[in-house]
Amino acid sequence: MKILHTSARALLATASIAFTATAFGADTVKVGILHSLSGTMAISETSLRDVLLYTFDEINAKGGVAGKKIEPVVVDGASNWPLFAEKAKQLLEQDKCAVVFGCWTSVSRKSVLPVFEKNNGLLFYPVQYEGEEESKNVFYTAEAVNQQATPAVDYMLAKGKQKFYLLGSDYVYPQTTNLVLLEYLLSKGVPIENIGGGFKKDGSGKIISAGKYTPFGHTDYQQIVSEIKQFSAGGKACVINTLNGDTNVPFFKEYAAAGLTAESCPVVSFSISEDEFRALPAKQLVGQLGCWTYFQSIKSDANKKFVASFQDWLKTSKVDGVKKEGRVTCSPMVLSYDGVYLWKAAVEKAGSFEVDKVRAALQGGLSFEGPGGKVTSQKNMHMTKNVFIGETKADGQFKILKEYKDVVGEPWLKGTFKPKS
Amino acid sequence: MRFLKTHRFLPLLTALSLFFSNAHAQAETPRQIIAKAVLLEDKSDDQVALLKTLDASTEVASLLTLWKEGGIFLFEKPDQSKVAIILESEKDAADKQKALLLETGLPILDGEGKPLHLLASDLTAAETDSTLRETMKAVLDLSGLSSPDRKARLQAVETLAMEQDFSRIPLLQKGLQKETDPSVQHAFREAIALAQLKEDSSETKISACRILGTMGSIRSRDILQSLSKDSDGPVQRAALEALQKIALHLQKVNTFGTLFRGLSLGSVLLVAALGLAVTFGLMGVINMAHGEMIAVGAYTTYVVQCVFGAGLQVSPFGIALNLPGIKATGWFYDCYFILAIPLSFLTAAFAGILLERTVIRFLYRRPLESLLATWGVSLVVQQLFRLTFGANNVQVSSPSWLSGSWTLSDVSFGWNRVFVITFAAAIVIGVFQLLGRTPLGLLIRAVMQNRSMAACMGVRTQRVNMFTFGLGSGLAGLAGAFLSQIGNVGPSLGQSYIVDAFMTVVVGGVGSLFGTILSAVGIGMTDQVLQQVLGNPVLGKILVLAAIILFLQWKPAGLFVTRSRSLES
Repeated sequence: MKILHTSARALLATASIAFTATAFGADTVKVGILHSLSGTMAISETSLRDVLLYTFDEINAKGGVAGKKIEPVVVDGASNWPLFAEKAKQLLEQDKCAVVFGCWTSVSRKSVLPVFEKNNGLLFYPVQYEGEEESKNVFYTAEAVNQQATPAVDYMLAKGKQKFYLLGSDYVYPQTTNLVLLEYLLSKGVPIENIGGGFKKDGSGKIISAGKYTPFGHTDYQQIVSEIKQFSAGGKACVINTLNGDTNVPFFKEYAAAGLTAESCPVVSFSISEDEFRALPAKQLVGQLGCWTYFQSIKSDANKKFVASFQDWLKTSKVDGVKKEGRVTCSPMVLSYDGVYLWKAAVEKAGSFEVDKVRAALQGGLSFEGPGGKVTSQKNMHMTKNVFIGETKADGQFKILKEYKDVVGEPWLKGTFKPKS
Repeated sequence: MRFLKTHRFLPLLTALSLFFSNAHAQAETPRQIIAKAVLLEDKSDDQVALLKTLDASTEVASLLTLWKEGGIFLFEKPDQSKVAIILESEKDAADKQKALLLETGLPILDGEGKPLHLLASDLTAAETDSTLRETMKAVLDLSGLSSPDRKARLQAVETLAMEQDFSRIPLLQKGLQKETDPSVQHAFREAIALAQLKEDSSETKISACRILGTMGSIRSRDILQSLSKDSDGPVQRAALEALQKIALHLQKVNTFGTLFRGLSLGSVLLVAALGLAVTFGLMGVINMAHGEMIAVGAYTTYVVQCVFGAGLQVSPFGIALNLPGIKATGWFYDCYFILAIPLSFLTAAFAGILLERTVIRFLYRRPLESLLATWGVSLVVQQLFRLTFGANNVQVSSPSWLSGSWTLSDVSFGWNRVFVITFAAAIVIGVFQLLGRTPLGLLIRAVMQNRSMAACMGVRTQRVNMFTFGLGSGLAGLAGAFLSQIGNVGPSLGQSYIVDAFMTVVVGGVGSLFGTILSAVGIGMTDQVLQQVLGNPVLGKILVLAAIILFLQWKPAGLFVTRSRSLES
């Protein structure tokens, strides 16, 4: 009992210290960063923290937002989903952050959603996701399914591909995306026997899962690759890959060893950006395709400037734990960057930091010329942006093959594509 | 108005200009066309159009291959115009190579009239994209039909087969007559039959269907399916019959394929578990750091690869370590793996001996505490990897001789898989020889059976323990070297194999090497067969685990029970 008492007292003490420490100055505005800086997701999410801090510095150097300097409050979600909700609560209730930039996995977003809705906060979410969600307290700078998956399928169809093998990691994003893709492919006249990976049906015969799924950390892709080999033997086939993280390594190694190549059966991946590429065997991936709303290889002046000044910032940064060598920029990073500027524009248009007014300004449609081209906020809290198809090169960059201009973000796609009769 | 007047001359003019443009086109050598295409850079449609005008020849084939592999460079002349160049393979002292103009194949001269030497890394290679490479492939394939290389011919025929162009039949038949290699002959026959399906006569179609059916041609399944839907009468019957035969063939392919994959998965498990069979099975140390010993081997392979390549900079604890690379290329670079195998054994064995001397030797009589201690060590080692090599996975590329495959009647045997099976067999034989035929093996067996009795007989048990633990860790290191070829190399590499390794050893029976072998192959086979039957990789694994739990309820000591007369047990 005594231990309990002491620890309770200790907790109280810390809380009160924290409370007094957070009295805020009048000429700054607090902005939260809610990403995992430790745990499994840290590899990807730390890059987003870095780019956000860079963006704040850039804005502050030019006078801040509506005359106020941004004061970042960085918290660590530690790849622990319930902790994300607690940290969100802290950012909103204790630190009174005007806006929060954060989350990577869909489960972390789902976990913080009730907190943001209860406190009427505003979260900017920057990573490709499965859709089927539209909260007034979240602004999705992320790619919706129709800003990544369906354009990629369009591109493959235009290249004369007729057979599609769906493969993904077993969690909500690949499962939902593949169900949407199944409907989309059927609506484009692709017969169901040309869609590989298998289907799971419920009692009434409705398809509830399409494609092949493997757990995180799966290492043995022999069977799946041999299935793909037979599937693609007749030509005109491709693989739609939503495998996450490092399971891509054993898959692509097995793929190459089986003699499958980007020419005979290309793989379009949705979860491999420049940042993930750093840890993948480049040789095995050359020629395979990716689809994002930004590539570092975009040849615009805005992008060149962004890449160069981010690298400069990294070199001089004194923030703890910022890795300085071998850094790249990728789509989630640029979407975070775009998000900050859209929020700034919204605040300045609304003339207030109040969430309701900022939201109204965002929903009114604001534009920003980002590194990936022009982005515009939409009424449904998503973002219109350009979509690019790229091909991986040995140096870890993408060669851009195709650009779809101004694609409107549409979260509710399931059930919208009717099969061709 | 003047224009109207000249209309009389128009036909003449057109003819003239046609003549000139023709003459021009004839004068353009393949080299010039390719150089022109290279300079178009981003306009891939125009590039494709240009490449399509090329006739297949060995010169074209070699130049296109060079382009594809990044061997053609863009060079900016002093007047800022760009030219396409290639580099001679010979390097001078400063690693520079003589630059040749692609168009002519002649050296570029600098201001003083001397041939220009350039550094490959300073130049930008001409890029290609998939559309372009597909066109290149089409051009290469036609030239590939007469290539002396078996693989190129095979690829060429297979591509032509999918085009189903019956005007190519005479060309294919001529190729078939000249062909001596049975697998390429097979591909030629398949291609001819596929093209014949497009002919009008139903008899030809029916006989083509028969041929494809007897061949068990997986490639033609889709085509036959659509044929069976679009036709009726005897043609439809023939197509359906052929499909049936192909399905039978496919079943055979899948059965043999599954057996092979089961064997290879079993070998992976065996390789990962064999070291544990020594440290846990023979010595009785519940070694939770076994996975990290595997990772030591994998990281050793990575370091060796870096030394063969561009070198490696690491900075553990802020100390900058700089390993220079020898920048090997080609087959010499591919040899890195051969050196990496013994080195990873030695490094891991050394790490194991260090672990035994500093921690485990105090805990031989306290197995549960050894579990906790080794687990702690495993966490420390993982953090050391993070500090040294970073939290991200590192890239280990497979040498080219490990990344191909060999196909026998549609069952493909990946070289890496064939390699792991032989590798596992070799290690097993080696360990058995060591334990059964050498004086050290005799001592190891004696100490493991009864430590105190062996000590009484004058065996220096401390030293034998040390060597045995070193052997077990070294075997784990060998596993790491191999696993780096098929999976991820990262700080948590060990974690993903430790459970499988313990499972294999426990099912086989603690203390029995033979049991470990049998259980590894058994688990691998069951896993792959279930995956094939259920079509679901997760469900298969769950069932295997459930079966193992039930099995251990029935036989808690595993497949093979080791009986010993030792008083300790």
